[in-house]
Amino acid sequence: MSMRLPKTVLHNRSAKSNYRQSFWAFAWQTIVKKPGRLIGFIIILLFTFMGIFGPYLYPAQLPINPNAIYAPISWQYPLGADFEGTSNLALVITGARYVLFAAAMGAVFTVAFGTILGLCAGYFIGWTDSVIMRITDFILTIPSFPLLVVLSTVWNFGQPVAMGFVLGITGWGGLARAVRSQTMSLRERGFIEAARGLGLSPLYILFREILPNVGSYIAMNLLLSVTGSIYAEVGLFFLGVVPFQVNNWGVMLNLAVFSAGAMSSPQALPYLLSPMLAILILTLGIVLFLDALDEMFNPRLRGV
Amino acid sequence: MSAELKHKQATAPAVQVRGLNVVYATNQGDLPAVRQVDLDIEARKITGIIGESGSGKSTLVMAMMNAVGKPGQIVSGSVEVLGVGDMLSIDRERQRKARGKELGLVFQAAQNSLNPLRRIGHQVLDLGRSHDVKDLRDLLRKAKDLLTRLGMDADRVLASYQHELSGGMRQRVGIMFALILDAKIVILDEATTALDMLSQASVLEIVRELHKERGLTTILVTHDMGVVADMADRVVVMYGGEIVEEGPSEFVLSHPAHPYTQGLVRAIPRISGDIDRAVPLQGAPADLKTYLEPGCPFYQRCPVAMPKCQESRPTSLAVSQDRKVACFKVTDHD
Amino acid sequence: MKIVMIRFVKRLIAGLIMILVVASFTFLLVRLMPGDPVQAKYDQLLLNGLTPIQAMDEVRVMYGFIPHQPLWIQYVHYLSQILHLNLGQSISYEGTPVMRIILGAAPWTIILVLTGTIASFIVGVLAGVIAAIKRNSLAGSAITISGSVLHGIPLFVMALFLAYVLTTIYAILPFGAPYNAALTPGFNGPFLSSLARHALLPVFTYALSSYGGWLLTMKSSVISVLGDDFILASEVRGLKTSTRIGYIAHNAILPLFTILALSIGFMFGGSLFIEDIFDYPGLGNLLVNAINSRDYPLMSGAFLLITVAVIASNIITDFLYSVVDPRIRR
Repeated sequence: MSMRLPKTVLHNRSAKSNYRQSFWAFAWQTIVKKPGRLIGFIIILLFTFMGIFGPYLYPAQLPINPNAIYAPISWQYPLGADFEGTSNLALVITGARYVLFAAAMGAVFTVAFGTILGLCAGYFIGWTDSVIMRITDFILTIPSFPLLVVLSTVWNFGQPVAMGFVLGITGWGGLARAVRSQTMSLRERGFIEAARGLGLSPLYILFREILPNVGSYIAMNLLLSVTGSIYAEVGLFFLGVVPFQVNNWGVMLNLAVFSAGAMSSPQALPYLLSPMLAILILTLGIVLFLDALDEMFNPRLRGV
Repeated sequence: MSAELKHKQATAPAVQVRGLNVVYATNQGDLPAVRQVDLDIEARKITGIIGESGSGKSTLVMAMMNAVGKPGQIVSGSVEVLGVGDMLSIDRERQRKARGKELGLVFQAAQNSLNPLRRIGHQVLDLGRSHDVKDLRDLLRKAKDLLTRLGMDADRVLASYQHELSGGMRQRVGIMFALILDAKIVILDEATTALDMLSQASVLEIVRELHKERGLTTILVTHDMGVVADMADRVVVMYGGEIVEEGPSEFVLSHPAHPYTQGLVRAIPRISGDIDRAVPLQGAPADLKTYLEPGCPFYQRCPVAMPKCQESRPTSLAVSQDRKVACFKVTDHD
Repeated sequence: MKIVMIRFVKRLIAGLIMILVVASFTFLLVRLMPGDPVQAKYDQLLLNGLTPIQAMDEVRVMYGFIPHQPLWIQYVHYLSQILHLNLGQSISYEGTPVMRIILGAAPWTIILVLTGTIASFIVGVLAGVIAAIKRNSLAGSAITISGSVLHGIPLFVMALFLAYVLTTIYAILPFGAPYNAALTPGFNGPFLSSLARHALLPVFTYALSSYGGWLLTMKSSVISVLGDDFILASEVRGLKTSTRIGYIAHNAILPLFTILALSIGFMFGGSLFIEDIFDYPGLGNLLVNAINSRDYPLMSGAFLLITVAVIASNIITDFLYSVVDPRIRR
């Protein structure tokens, strides 16, 4: 017995790495199958790159140019220039980091809260479920954007993590509800009952047996929450209720509309359109990529 | 001579299926579900259609009503219904009128055959209005009579929503809907499968009574040999979308000719007999690969297969006056 | 009917508890805010030469509670003031009761949100039915794509776009006030038409922002109902096409009621953008302005009222749902 055990472990590990490899190969095949998915994937990669390296491409203080105030689109200013003569493209690229990092954190927190609470509610049922679901109903009922706006008066949104945390706190309701109902149906299945019968700990069952089965749903929601988070945070900056500490897309929108008067003076229009374009392209990328993710994780679509 | 002619006219088939082909469109191409079926359903008799799941028996009866759901599609053939015409070629409005009024169907999922948001009584009225029934009060009275006969509290059922009834009750309501417009041809597609043994027996008993009383033509689709033995005058055995054997049930069951029918009969565990004597059918039911092969669909599982069976498909030939079999072993004797 | 009433009462109680929680939240928010605005105001009044008692009275009128007292006494006082529909006084609108300002703004938002919701619901549901039935045709895909695209565009982008196109490039729609200030408010033609013209742009934006969601949900709902056994049964029984379409529509639309509640919350959230961009004087605009001018009593009041409006709409939606779905009545 004692001799055989390591062997099995070893065997398992190699099987696992095989599986990993084939999963990535499978994922790649799924992405390249349709051009739309590949475009989505490339857009997401591009924006991730922008978020990580964007600020290093430009000096910390972006150059201003009094002769290029609201400069039209040109080779030097591919997206025009703002009210100080700074390139809009540079602003979009350097502004991506805060927006994307906060959105990623927002998605992570949303998914973490939603998944853990949904799993617990669905697995332990009884009063745990009742309490969690009452809180979920509450979170779902309170209009989240006004809540964010009000919270902005006490919460310092300077750090992307802080922004992400608040986005997560206000946004987990829908996911928790969905994960709960999936967990409830899973816990009645044979293999979970068998695991319970074997006396495995609830934690083990929740995270090793149930979580992988709701994984696809969670992966989809992770991406969807990224778009939701971007809209919410950019919206907060756009409304100007959050103090501007770093340049980002929302700040650009706010300054363009409320300071530069882009709505009535066409020369300031590129300044308004640049961040909008960034948001729309990223959204498009995510929507296109979701299709691939759906096929990767949804067993019903697999192999069809 | 003339006596024989008279006899023939009296037993003109209630439904006459000719050259029927139904396919299911899938990603891997068209999957034939019913293939080249010719079938006469005798009037005023109970015909049992038997076969494993996937043998095409449900598709066949749905095709008789021209109600094959997507992705299924009727490719060719005709279904001549007595007093109606060819269900596959008459105009849509006449087809609609024939459904329910001439052909009543209780289908497999009859528990879910009711609109969950309307009371049963309202749905009876909807049915009456769709078929231009003049006297709706009379229709409700008929519904009550039928429900009472089926052993239910008729007033309560008519005032109920689907979710207020049990599965067995819904199934009986489904039977009521098939009979209420006095359809002369009634098709029960696994209509009692979901019921427990006792309700199944009582529902079948009522079906038998109504069949006699109203002079119905009843088609009983089932995978339960016991039900066929008990109820049917004639039996039609389907395998892989084809009819492999048909004939009077007492003869077919006592002397099955096709090896598949023989297998089915042997697989019935007799309650009185020894369970060890029930022999399960070997092998898996027909699948896509089987359908595409040129030979007999039963070849893979057949205990008496010959080389010829792999090369060509046996056609259904009469072996006696009212019995047909599709098997080289049986038909090639002479 | 009794079960519907019990459900309604339960929802009502849950709603009241939610309002209590939100009121407590706004209380704590203002009270525990960095720099404590209540204390700051009190200190400032003392510096301005008021006696401590005068200053205390002033602050109490403004915020609804008194500094220098244990938190829970302030809390009880605050809640009793809310029960008397007193939300304190605004800072930016010099001494005007918050309640009066909010009640002045609320109708604009509520009417606009409701009109927008109803309009988008009707159009979205109809389009969803067509998209589902004709899902294999070009028209069907075109409708579905229109829904996905509109569903994906952020509200503020949509609002800015519409404002730019319809008021700047083609100045066909008015912008700003809810009606032409030169007209006398009342039940007269010119006033009403001015009202409608001014509301058109915001209502259209509200409607457009949720149209896609309705369309996509209705489409998938219809498709799932089309696969239900009872629809096949109704075909096999020879029901008329019109009756069958009625069965399908009735069954497909019910799940949408549960989403209606969430949608209303979303719409009220959207009012912040729409009213800010179109400069329309509703609750959303009020909330944003209150925060930008650090008018905390007004902020708490506006937020509380938005929440109450959402909770009330939820209760009404749920009540309607339990009336139309017999499965709840049991």
